[in-house]
Amino acid sequence: MLRLENLSCGYGPMRAVHDLSLTVPEGSVFALIGANGAGKTSTIMAVAGHVAVQAGRIEFDGEDLTDAPAMARVRQGLALVPEGRRLFGDLSVEENLIVGGYARPKEATPGNRDKVFDLFPRLAERRNQRAGQMSGGEQQMLAIGRALMAEPRMLLIDEVSLGLMPKVVDLCFGVIGRLRDEGMTVMLVEQSTQRALAIADNVCVLESGRTVYQGTGEDARDNPGLIDAYLGLDRQEDVA
Amino acid sequence: MLFIDLLVQGLIQGSSYALIAVGLTLVYGLLRILHVAHAGLFTLGAYIAVVVTNTLGSFWLAAVIAPPIVGLAGMLVYRLLYEPILDQPPFVPLIASIGLFICMEEGFRLIFGPYGNSFDEAPFSASLSFGPVYMQGVEAATVVIAFVLLGALAVLAARTRLGTAWRASVTDPQMAQSFGIDIVKVRYLNFFIGSALAAVAGVLVALLNNFVEPTLGSVPSYKMLAIIVLGGLGNVKGTLVAALALGVLESFGTIYAGHLIDRDAIAFLFLIIVLMVRPQGFFGKA
Repeated sequence: MLRLENLSCGYGPMRAVHDLSLTVPEGSVFALIGANGAGKTSTIMAVAGHVAVQAGRIEFDGEDLTDAPAMARVRQGLALVPEGRRLFGDLSVEENLIVGGYARPKEATPGNRDKVFDLFPRLAERRNQRAGQMSGGEQQMLAIGRALMAEPRMLLIDEVSLGLMPKVVDLCFGVIGRLRDEGMTVMLVEQSTQRALAIADNVCVLESGRTVYQGTGEDARDNPGLIDAYLGLDRQEDVA
Repeated sequence: MLFIDLLVQGLIQGSSYALIAVGLTLVYGLLRILHVAHAGLFTLGAYIAVVVTNTLGSFWLAAVIAPPIVGLAGMLVYRLLYEPILDQPPFVPLIASIGLFICMEEGFRLIFGPYGNSFDEAPFSASLSFGPVYMQGVEAATVVIAFVLLGALAVLAARTRLGTAWRASVTDPQMAQSFGIDIVKVRYLNFFIGSALAAVAGVLVALLNNFVEPTLGSVPSYKMLAIIVLGGLGNVKGTLVAALALGVLESFGTIYAGHLIDRDAIAFLFLIIVLMVRPQGFFGKA
């Protein structure tokens, strides 16, 4: 569904990611793993249209999106759950969802909103609260819900677990699994290797902007320590 | 009854401040630009009122066309002046804006003459009385029109899908784009509405003073900056309160402290005092 071909991207003259090629099949979860500054977020933001592509191609569903503006990508079916959530803090929960569905017809908003509320009943209770005043977990739910309002065929999720309580992380990953089972394609950036491996169909490990390992999630699960070796980690050190 | 008279005069003045200042604070909220040339658009609205009324004979025609013409002029200012320098540090668009404002004042002087223009026949010279309070019809209209238009703007921003998208773009333009909002259109809309409101203020001030001169916008240009800083830069609600508060304060200050301090200096004394106590303005930054 998503294909990156020799993608290099970065900020100004800086190159954050070198020559990355990968394919995310439809209905699967693809995890990008790596240490801080490895280029995971740059990759996902390049796919979303917010980081400049310096070389290579981004292809989504057979269409070349390399030079498409961010605004057009959401209409193609890509929706972003960004690092740090980046909700519209002054807007209420419900208004954040309205903005999430802005690329779809107005009539679709109530139905999609109810689906999000089914997925995260907590958000229904907080529908009139300002997004900025909610707890981190609730904000993460809203960030996922906002992305779902765009009726995406693929979700780009950056650091869903960062700074959240394990219970909330379980809930979020549970939802991601459920969405995949319903046919959603997902690209996931994670610092928590264990969390990512538990759900990923395919894995790519980045180090300083270069690919050091690509394989299936199954291989990685069957060989504990494989990914850690590429990350240069001891299993005990992986506390996240 | 002097107290009520002064209060009413202050609210009248404050209403026209509010109509001008809201456009300025909207531009600041969206682009972080201090749009000094906004006061030039206000003057343009006033000139359209006088010149169209005198040449075509219909004040109503002038009043109807001034806001959309000035609104379009505001969009043009964004497109030609600000858009090419959006990625520059904030002082660059500020300097450009001051430059444009000076050019506009000189342009008005060249086109309409240096001595100012008046209506050939002043429309609406009737005055009204509400119990003991007398005011001109135009003064009453200023207050009513300001409340209706700003109320409509508040409803647009708070209750409509477009208004929600607008507020989202102010909070995080990049994420707004990621969900399909065309932020360039939002900016055009922002300049159109803000400039059209300034034009309404221009038409009303032209009527109130029955006089429009090239430098009509000079005092408002810096007074509006004081108001939006007091209101918390980019904070619309705060700006409206600051506009009314300043109008009332000036009205009382002129009577009780007028022998000590000039009317226009009161605004800045007030600004300095408030910023010493509350550096974030009345309501804090949006």
